[in-house]
Amino acid sequence: MSHGQNFSRRDFIKISSIFLAGSTALSAGAAQAFSGAGSSVGDEGSKVVYSFCEHCFWRCGIAAHVRDGKVYKITGSDHHPLSQGKLCPRGTGGTGLLYDPDRLAYPLIRETKGGKQFYRKASWDEAITLVAEKLYGIKEQYGPGALAMLHHGYGVSFFKNMFSQIGVNKYAKPSYDLCCGPARQATVLTYGYPSDTPEGFDMKNSKYMVFFGTHFGENMHNTAVQEISEGIRNGAKIVVFDPRFSTLAGKAQHWLPIKPATDIAMMQGLMHVLISENLYDKAFVEAHTVGFGELWDSVKDMTPEKVSAITDIPADAIRTVAREYAFHAPAAFVHSGRRTNWYGDALQRIRAIHILNALVGNFKMPGGVVAFQKFPLVQPPPTHEHPAYEKEVHSKYPFFPDDEPSNTIASHEIVQQAISGEVKGLLIYGVNLPETMTLGRDKAIEAMKKAEFVVAVDVLPSEVTGYADVVLPECTYLERYDDLDNGRAFRTPFVALRQPAVPPMYDSKPGNQIAKMITEKWGIHGAFPPSVEKGLDKKLRLVGSSLAEIKKKGVLVMPETDLYRKPGEPLNLKTPSGKVELASARLKAGGFDAVPKYTAHPEPPTGFYRMLTGRKPMLTFGRTANNRFLGDLATAKENEVWVNNHIAEKHSLENGEYVHLKNQDGVVSEFPVKVKVTQRIRTDAVYMVHGFGHTSAKLTWAHKRGASHNQLISRTEIDPAMGAVGFQNNFVTFIKEA
Amino acid sequence: MLATAVNEIVSTKINPNVVPHLHIWEWHIPLYLFLGGLAGGLLVITSIMIVLKRKFGIGPRDQGDGCPCLAVRIGSVLSPTLLGIGMLFLFLDLAHPLYVWAFYTTIQPTSPMSAGSWILIAFFPLAILQAMLVNKRQLRGFNIEPINKVIDWTENHMTIVALVNAHIGVGIGIYTGILLSFFSARPLWSSSILGMLFLVSGISSAAALMLLLAPEDEKPVYSMIDANAIWIELMTVGLFVLGGLTGSANTHGAMMHLITGDINLAGMSYMFWFWGIFIASGLVVPLLLEFLEAAGVHIRFPNVAPVMVLFGGLILRFLIVFAGQTYHTFM
Amino acid sequence: MVIDTRVCVGCSACVYACKQENNVPEGYCRDWVVQESGGEYPKLTMENRSERCQHCENAPCVTYCPTRASHYAEDGTVQINRSLCTGCKACMAACPYDARYVHPEGYVDKCSLCKHRIEQGLETACVSICPTGSLNLVDFNNMDEKTKELLKGKIVYRQKEHAGTEPSLQWISASNKPGA
Repeated sequence: MSHGQNFSRRDFIKISSIFLAGSTALSAGAAQAFSGAGSSVGDEGSKVVYSFCEHCFWRCGIAAHVRDGKVYKITGSDHHPLSQGKLCPRGTGGTGLLYDPDRLAYPLIRETKGGKQFYRKASWDEAITLVAEKLYGIKEQYGPGALAMLHHGYGVSFFKNMFSQIGVNKYAKPSYDLCCGPARQATVLTYGYPSDTPEGFDMKNSKYMVFFGTHFGENMHNTAVQEISEGIRNGAKIVVFDPRFSTLAGKAQHWLPIKPATDIAMMQGLMHVLISENLYDKAFVEAHTVGFGELWDSVKDMTPEKVSAITDIPADAIRTVAREYAFHAPAAFVHSGRRTNWYGDALQRIRAIHILNALVGNFKMPGGVVAFQKFPLVQPPPTHEHPAYEKEVHSKYPFFPDDEPSNTIASHEIVQQAISGEVKGLLIYGVNLPETMTLGRDKAIEAMKKAEFVVAVDVLPSEVTGYADVVLPECTYLERYDDLDNGRAFRTPFVALRQPAVPPMYDSKPGNQIAKMITEKWGIHGAFPPSVEKGLDKKLRLVGSSLAEIKKKGVLVMPETDLYRKPGEPLNLKTPSGKVELASARLKAGGFDAVPKYTAHPEPPTGFYRMLTGRKPMLTFGRTANNRFLGDLATAKENEVWVNNHIAEKHSLENGEYVHLKNQDGVVSEFPVKVKVTQRIRTDAVYMVHGFGHTSAKLTWAHKRGASHNQLISRTEIDPAMGAVGFQNNFVTFIKEA
Repeated sequence: MLATAVNEIVSTKINPNVVPHLHIWEWHIPLYLFLGGLAGGLLVITSIMIVLKRKFGIGPRDQGDGCPCLAVRIGSVLSPTLLGIGMLFLFLDLAHPLYVWAFYTTIQPTSPMSAGSWILIAFFPLAILQAMLVNKRQLRGFNIEPINKVIDWTENHMTIVALVNAHIGVGIGIYTGILLSFFSARPLWSSSILGMLFLVSGISSAAALMLLLAPEDEKPVYSMIDANAIWIELMTVGLFVLGGLTGSANTHGAMMHLITGDINLAGMSYMFWFWGIFIASGLVVPLLLEFLEAAGVHIRFPNVAPVMVLFGGLILRFLIVFAGQTYHTFM
Repeated sequence: MVIDTRVCVGCSACVYACKQENNVPEGYCRDWVVQESGGEYPKLTMENRSERCQHCENAPCVTYCPTRASHYAEDGTVQINRSLCTGCKACMAACPYDARYVHPEGYVDKCSLCKHRIEQGLETACVSICPTGSLNLVDFNNMDEKTKELLKGKIVYRQKEHAGTEPSLQWISASNKPGA
């Protein structure tokens, strides 16, 4: 293969169907799994395999029910603390991924013949040899900093281990930049420990839950939804600030359709009422916080009237919420949300949420903010010769985490470094980069085209695979072992096992084998245990268990921890002051606002509407886009653009009609999208679910369904403090079909 | 439940032919209902003709050997034939036709389908006897002993056979309507006058058909029957529409859906089909034509009126079956 | 069954679990989820609910079935005997809840209330998966304390009661105030 250096060196290739599962004899089995042939059946004669889910980051415990070598049903594991026997729709939909007729079946290598680029089927040995050679060559020629990995998926630990053997540790998880990153760092700066998943709110015991624009119920985070439900049954009140009447807003006593991009002003207004009306927990604030004076100075002027003018919420409602919140405290909280990094100020926004929590003294109180614990696994010492790399951070953003070895740089930094030529080789593991909200579709494609070598490890022929030099088909999470999962903190700390329910289909392999094969091709032996099972067993024996034991229930669970503080108990927080930092000394030292301050964001031009996003409960963006089992229901088949009824009238839009969307920079959606005329959204915004409008014809289910939200992102705001990407300053208007 | 005024309802339901509205019965059922009604109507008219003979001046002329005129002879044969064809459509509509025997393993008096399946069976023996009787001259020509015996028996019991047939014909005609009107979940159908409507429509259609078949000198009789049946049908339709409009929200909405509906059926709205095709060209215009003809005005194409009646009758079944399904389920 | 719409988020896990449990073919479902919102901006209301065959005590589908394929089982549920079903669809026309469909294999099908699971002492697939605990399997003839507590003081309704079908599903209205 020869590589020129020109921009369009690498064309997008449509993977030929003969390399996909649909062409193989096995696809008959896949088709049968969908046909519904045969009659309904009981549980007799079937085997149950306990594992954990990969359809979203929550990683619930699942029970895969296997009969005649086929997974016919997936339910929630009774043993796993995050599932407790329950499961969200996406979890049940594992069968739709496992038996997806579009799955990648063989390793593929890009070839050029007569100026035409195409993929050819390759043996594993050939593909692994090429990948090993190319990656090693780049490392030798340009240094380890010229290699980077974009990843999303639990099998990444093996590739991290692989790369660490040659001193590479430039890793980014795009979701971190959009979702959990700002929340994590805001918690570090305020409380001295990183926030986690589940987020550390005692929801089931709460009496008053305030949410800002997060969509539980549409975000089917199993445990969170279970706990909110229990809270509701116990009489909890819910408040939702959201420009859209979300499902959660439908449960709320107060739905406050806040003007988008003004959340921080609202939070400041609530702080103003709490402080000016003496509703805050003075004892807690005095004993356990620093920076109260600075905080009051910053919110002194943010009267409900002033905030009302900014946020479009009546001043009385602001007072009511603040008073009710204080009344129910400490069994009350403001939730930090998920995927709420919208305007590049998410770090400060979530800091403001934490301050609202601290002001009412709900820290480690029933129904308030709590710190769940993780299962303490003993980590074996690193096997590689580059221990220094474990600590290295590549991000240029001062508050990017320095203690998260799987995220050492923001994903958009990798994209930019690939465009600038600093990064030459990319390993893309389970990230469909063109449809991921990093810097928008065009930048992602540009990065992949400019990189010297791109290898994609994926299950499906998603868009990203069309830009790779080598495509390695990984088997699904139902066909493989992965590393033990003790990454989730909860009431009962636990460690969970991912184990195969069925052997890998087609010529796909688990990530652990792929990484090991590449490493051994480099001549490095002993970096991986002789088998993945032996490695897991060894780790488990360090905590007095074994693989054989954990296989039975898929999980080891510790007793429930005490989440609540005792009167007079010191907090011993790991912040510079040892206290809850209402004003952050570290932020101040870094040249940022010590306390969160509202700043105005761009407004939509006339005739344009701010594009808000979210999801459908049965779908997780890319992971489920081509899942025809999940896509079957009437509400799952496509995304709609929600348009307020008055706006629809203004643009003469009918409910159900298809339009193209055009953004402020003239980007027009590739596919039309159905209009949903509704009262459920403000007049200054529209809403569409992310993860639709796929362009890859090989995703035969997802192709051309709905419109791509990602395509319409041409503007992003990067958080200058911690590097998160905001994408909600994009505005769209409608182009009616001719 | 929540208020109904401006509610936005989103459902995940996907079942074909259930969402967005019921679509379980396509062309088979309306065609079957039409043919069933026609068969019933033919049986009623022919059997009454046989009983009345020449009394009151409306009976058929005897064509020798006690055989009635051509129209009655053809009508008597067509009645069971058309019903048989209709039942074939009914059979084709079954999702699992091979299980059709299951209808005849039980009698479910509360199920109009069950009752109907038995009525259909009961229809044939006497209807066939009647068809044989009126065609006895031809049949006896074959000189087959068993057939001759059957005809002899029927001849001896002619009045009773014909009277029973008249009732069975009425039964079939009403049954085609009742079949639908028992479904209280479908507001348009849920009207007992539908049985009456389908009966008179069946009789008017049958009269129209016989008018087409009858020799010139017999036509006035059928023209008169047809005109009277159309009169009654117009009134029955009026009652049906009024009953719907003055009914509950469910039935009112369903009736409006039928008579003003903009749902497209083969390129035209329900409203157009109902008023334009069924009422105007299927009832009012033929009635006028037949009235004018009876009054001595020369009609250039005398067959136009009965064809319009037949077409109107067919459209009525399609409209009722389709509009009943496309209107939302009982709320 | 008692369905608590106060907590239901309409996620449809019940629908997918049912499809797997009962091998419901692609393009069909035995249960489904409805999201109904009303009122006027910004005073909007919402109810999410999981719906299915109501297992009526006076079931029109059983009344209208010509072959006894639709029948009452001993436990009071409404079941379909596939080997008697001709697919005449009278039951579908009769059902005020549109709970049935024609299975591609040529019989009418619907929720069986997971009869095969209940016989094994298990809950239905939908009840056992529901993350919100919105679905509760209840024997109304022998109501346990937990259910009585759940229903106490709440606005509870049945759908289309005026259809006279005596449906066996009850919904706890989303309009209940917190702590009602």
